Amino acid sequence: MRTTRTRRLAGAIALALTVATAATACGAGEDGKADDGGQTRVFAADNGQITIPVSPKRVIATGYAVPALLEAGAPLVGVSSWKRGIPLFNEQERKKYDELAKVAGESASETNYEAIAQADPDLIVIGVPKPVLADIDIKRLEAIAPVVAIGPSVPSMWRELSRKQADAAGATAGFDALKTAYDTKAKALAEKYKAVVPQLKLGHVGAYGEVAKGNFQREFNGSWGTNIAQDIGATYYGQVKVKGGGSKDVSEYPSIEELPTAFAQADAITYSVAADGSVPPPVKYVLDSPLWKELPAVKAGKVYPFRYTEAATYRAATSTLDAVDQAFAPLLKQ
Amino acid sequence: MTATGRSALLGAALLGLVVVAVLSVGIGAHAIAPGEVVRALLGEGNPSDRAVVLDIRMPRAVLAIGVGAALAVGGVLVQALSRNALAEPGVLGVTAGAGFAIAVGSSFGLAASAPIELGLAVLGAFGASALVYAVGSRSPLRLVLAGTALSAVLLGLTLGLRLLFPDTFDVYRFWSVGSLAGREQAPTTVPLIVIGLSLLGAFAVSRQLNAIALGETVAHTLGANVARVRTVTLLLITLMAGAATALAGPILFVGLIVPHLARRVAGASIPWLIAFAALLGPVLMLAADVGSRVLLPTGEVPVAIVTAFLGGPVLIWAVRKYGAAPL
Repeated sequence: MRTTRTRRLAGAIALALTVATAATACGAGEDGKADDGGQTRVFAADNGQITIPVSPKRVIATGYAVPALLEAGAPLVGVSSWKRGIPLFNEQERKKYDELAKVAGESASETNYEAIAQADPDLIVIGVPKPVLADIDIKRLEAIAPVVAIGPSVPSMWRELSRKQADAAGATAGFDALKTAYDTKAKALAEKYKAVVPQLKLGHVGAYGEVAKGNFQREFNGSWGTNIAQDIGATYYGQVKVKGGGSKDVSEYPSIEELPTAFAQADAITYSVAADGSVPPPVKYVLDSPLWKELPAVKAGKVYPFRYTEAATYRAATSTLDAVDQAFAPLLKQ
Repeated sequence: MTATGRSALLGAALLGLVVVAVLSVGIGAHAIAPGEVVRALLGEGNPSDRAVVLDIRMPRAVLAIGVGAALAVGGVLVQALSRNALAEPGVLGVTAGAGFAIAVGSSFGLAASAPIELGLAVLGAFGASALVYAVGSRSPLRLVLAGTALSAVLLGLTLGLRLLFPDTFDVYRFWSVGSLAGREQAPTTVPLIVIGLSLLGAFAVSRQLNAIALGETVAHTLGANVARVRTVTLLLITLMAGAATALAGPILFVGLIVPHLARRVAGASIPWLIAFAALLGPVLMLAADVGSRVLLPTGEVPVAIVTAFLGGPVLIWAVRKYGAAPL
């Protein structure tokens, strides 16, 4: 009797599994993404040579790919949260960003795989630095759609990567116009400041120091706070004490005690502020320190706040150029 | 141990405190020659060195002394009050309350500056200990159980807030590290005065706590007002631990370890215990803080990690070598 029951149970389970498998297979077929005969191409990404649709119709973007693909007008169906870029979005991008499903939080580890599957994408573009990729279950995402990881290892790479991200999403149409506008403005500003800015040894205080650890962020050439100003002739002297790879090659976190040593040679100091001009707590910690007031550049009154240092696309970086122009304007009067 | 022996050891502890305080002012990320440190202390020398010594290291050393003394003496009082050798000030829900208040404040965008964060932590610490006392004031066991239960609830709620609001996670993460770094610009005067007055209060109730340690009946016989002493002691613990936690974040081990170390020399005498704890707590905090600056070449380690790293093995060593001293 027990054997018969067991057999019946096994049979029922096998039947259920067969039906479920068939249903899943039918679902994939009806979906049509895999079998629609759409053209594909092989794309070189951080995660290898990936076969992706030539003209994707439903794209998910995360990390730095969010501003790039919003700006490119890619056919997005979901994005990760990207609060730091909101002040840099134009009205249209902001509206689109607000409307889109949020399939991940601010950090890669907050990826919502079910939300991504529900968005039914035909391409997933992950814009996080290579080391952060470990926080994402790529295999799980690949089961949903082709995944291309295109993330910056150093901040200044946004120039190449934003194009690459737009290219992956098949949305490079307006890219060159935005790049040209940026290059033209940068060239004009370089000309405007050529008599003063290139002669300065600059230092930069970034917004990602940790007050609770008593440190500050010093940014060098190629970092988020400095790379756009470099396009108009600025040079941030020095280099990190120990290269740690990626962004750690271009910024470091010394103790506040090292502030005098860090900026002893600086003719002028720039620092990151929020889009509304307010000073973030890690920067305020530096600016309120008695050591700050003893710096030669501060005593000379040569300190300049930079807004929009988070720019990772050409249109956003054009706003940063305007902000740098505004910040450096007093130099022309001195 | 005789009173003379204890006095000698207390003097040695005071000397130790002076030594680690000097080290604390002399050692840091920015190398300053000893002579320059002395000149800076006298208000002379290079302005930058002077600012490092007087505006960064000195306030930090004072903070370490205040926080160390508050947590250690708070530990002595809570162990005496609860008659539990494993009790530390956090058992009354002080730490969990402060953390919860910080999490709630940052979820509503209130914890935007150090003074507000400090105020929130103090409010949370007081709120939690008042609740614990309201529930568990009848007996030491109920007090500990109520504190443990409330801490668990508050920690759960804090975790929920951290998961719901990523910004809260960031603020809480920085606060929960338990550090003395970056506090030199925070308004520490009032909390430090509160700690100082509470330490005096602890000495004032110490003799009556001695009587309570013999049992409530004996305490009544000796003329101690048990209920009043308990209430005052609990208030002192809350003031000290609340202020210390608000200033430096959660630093758990000091309140547990120092009373045990102090008991080796002070015996069961609460006044002596408080005196030794008031010196050994700062010694441990200052030593851990100096360690936190020099242990890693890559930068500072939060002092809470160093106290746990130093204090844990020291406690195990003391217990293995001497056995657990009776309360």
